Amino acid sequence: MEEEYLPEYGPKWSDQRAERMLGALVCAVVGLLLAMIITVFARAWPSFAHNGLAWFGAGGSVEEQLNQIYLSGLSGANYVYTFHGWQLIWSTMLITGGAVTIALFCSLFVSVFIVEFAPEWMRNILQPVVRFLASVPSVIYGLLGVLVIVPFIGNHLVTEPQKASVAGVISLSGYSLLAAVLILTVMIAPLMVSIFSDGLRAVRPGWLEGSLALGVNRWRTTWKIAVRTARPAIVAGTVLAVARAIGEAVMLAMVSGSVAFAPNPADGLIFIYEPSRPLAPTIVKNIDSLGSPPANATLFAIAAVLLFSAAFFSLAGWVARRAMRKYGATA
Amino acid sequence: MRIKSLAISVIALVALAVPASAGAVTLIGSGSVAAQPVLEALFKTYTKEVNHKVHFLYTANGGNAGVKDVQNGTSQFAGQARTPLPSDAGTTYIKMFLDGLCIDVNPKNKLSNISIQQTHDIYRGLLTNWNQLPGSGLETTIDPVGRDTNGGTYNFFLQAVLNNELPSSNVNALTADGLVVNAVKQDPSAIGYDGLAWQGKGQKALKVNGVPCVSSKISVEPLKYPLSRYLFLVLPTGVNNPALTKFIDWARRDPVAGEVIAKAGGVPAFNKKAKK
Repeated sequence: MEEEYLPEYGPKWSDQRAERMLGALVCAVVGLLLAMIITVFARAWPSFAHNGLAWFGAGGSVEEQLNQIYLSGLSGANYVYTFHGWQLIWSTMLITGGAVTIALFCSLFVSVFIVEFAPEWMRNILQPVVRFLASVPSVIYGLLGVLVIVPFIGNHLVTEPQKASVAGVISLSGYSLLAAVLILTVMIAPLMVSIFSDGLRAVRPGWLEGSLALGVNRWRTTWKIAVRTARPAIVAGTVLAVARAIGEAVMLAMVSGSVAFAPNPADGLIFIYEPSRPLAPTIVKNIDSLGSPPANATLFAIAAVLLFSAAFFSLAGWVARRAMRKYGATA
Repeated sequence: MRIKSLAISVIALVALAVPASAGAVTLIGSGSVAAQPVLEALFKTYTKEVNHKVHFLYTANGGNAGVKDVQNGTSQFAGQARTPLPSDAGTTYIKMFLDGLCIDVNPKNKLSNISIQQTHDIYRGLLTNWNQLPGSGLETTIDPVGRDTNGGTYNFFLQAVLNNELPSSNVNALTADGLVVNAVKQDPSAIGYDGLAWQGKGQKALKVNGVPCVSSKISVEPLKYPLSRYLFLVLPTGVNNPALTKFIDWARRDPVAGEVIAKAGGVPAFNKKAKK
């Protein structure tokens, strides 16, 4: 009797209970995620179905299209769905691409310095500072942008002839590609630095010592051995940074200029002063029109594009990391 | 046991969030950002001086969103800065006080008067340089600043100035009235629009069609100032809420409420004059 009783009631049973609870929790999380993805795409479907691939193309003003879509929803019949999102997509690509490129170069050198070259006391200060910077809420950067960087660009960098050359089409008042890229770079660089440094620290000391023992100097050892070995971590950090940059809404809504306009590199230097509005802030700016069914579908379509690109980048990052596994260090 | 203690702590949290005094009423509202400074001042005075047991919770999420909250029952009232639309079915609008939409420029701008037509042309991208407006003393390109589509300020401007045409692409649409004030303050070539409650240092209100944007010109019927409007409280039709009705009566009639409204930047419309 006692022999049967002990193993059944006791550790074994509570073990199973923990297992089942955790399993149920994981299933719930996965189910919730699936439900969310399905909801977003189902709500977005009318917008994609009406426009097809033209949704991603150029044509007309996004602002007017959104207004038509919104108004058609109020009347209750004959919904209008025509939407060509290129101005928003191009702005997202420019701002995200610019910020990630600059941040990649800066972060790589900063993390090499922190891990390989900085003296101990400096490393002890820099690491917590970088971790702290990576967790600063984006709205704070937005405030700094609106109060400091935007007025500086508008009043000191942009000249009157430049403003006059595009008068009536766009305002070069400081809300610009430059401001958006600068602040976004500052926002995502600490994230990259902390992941890159983890990767560099995981490089096997023996490999570096071997290289040094062969008489290769310190910089060359770092560049050819440490950075190469840490490539999976560099890819992982970049992918995370891209995901954060694409999804950033509040800060960009405050500084990017909030006009649906596609900055044109052919305009010369003023290109970087031109305002634009990426995808994510467009949702924030039009939140009031959610009551109109076609506008609702259009905003969900924008959300679906953001969701898809985030998924795409994390998949691409996973594939790249897998291909690089043979180099040794993983992150 | 754990679930029980969790439940108790949740209840305790909820109890903390609601004012603890017995018989207290919390009125939940949302809506217009433009009406917020005046409404908050009224709420504070009412709780402090008239009825300690009535508390207010107001979320400034934009007038249109506020009306939707009333329609689906999330809010008991909404602040609104535009007149009723067909989509507002099931709600009643009550005129609370008046507000003027001022056209503001940077103090470095010497312009003192602007017509509705000139404002229209600036926001439609037809006038682009300050030298096209005599008296400005500036030779620079105009930087027009406006609101995004959320909220009553934009809708009022669209109706009153732009004849429901969309603003041109050179108008920078910002997410809040405070950001418009900030933009005008920091850019000598800027022009912006915002409510009377936002007038203050750092920006200069222009006369519109020769009438200055001050409360004395706005309150007198017929409304002399071209860009004046009523601010409304929106209630669900047919729902009796005695605490709210009492507050509305007080805010509309009481001389003390009138002073509060004027101090917070609005213009009292119906309040009796205080005896001096």
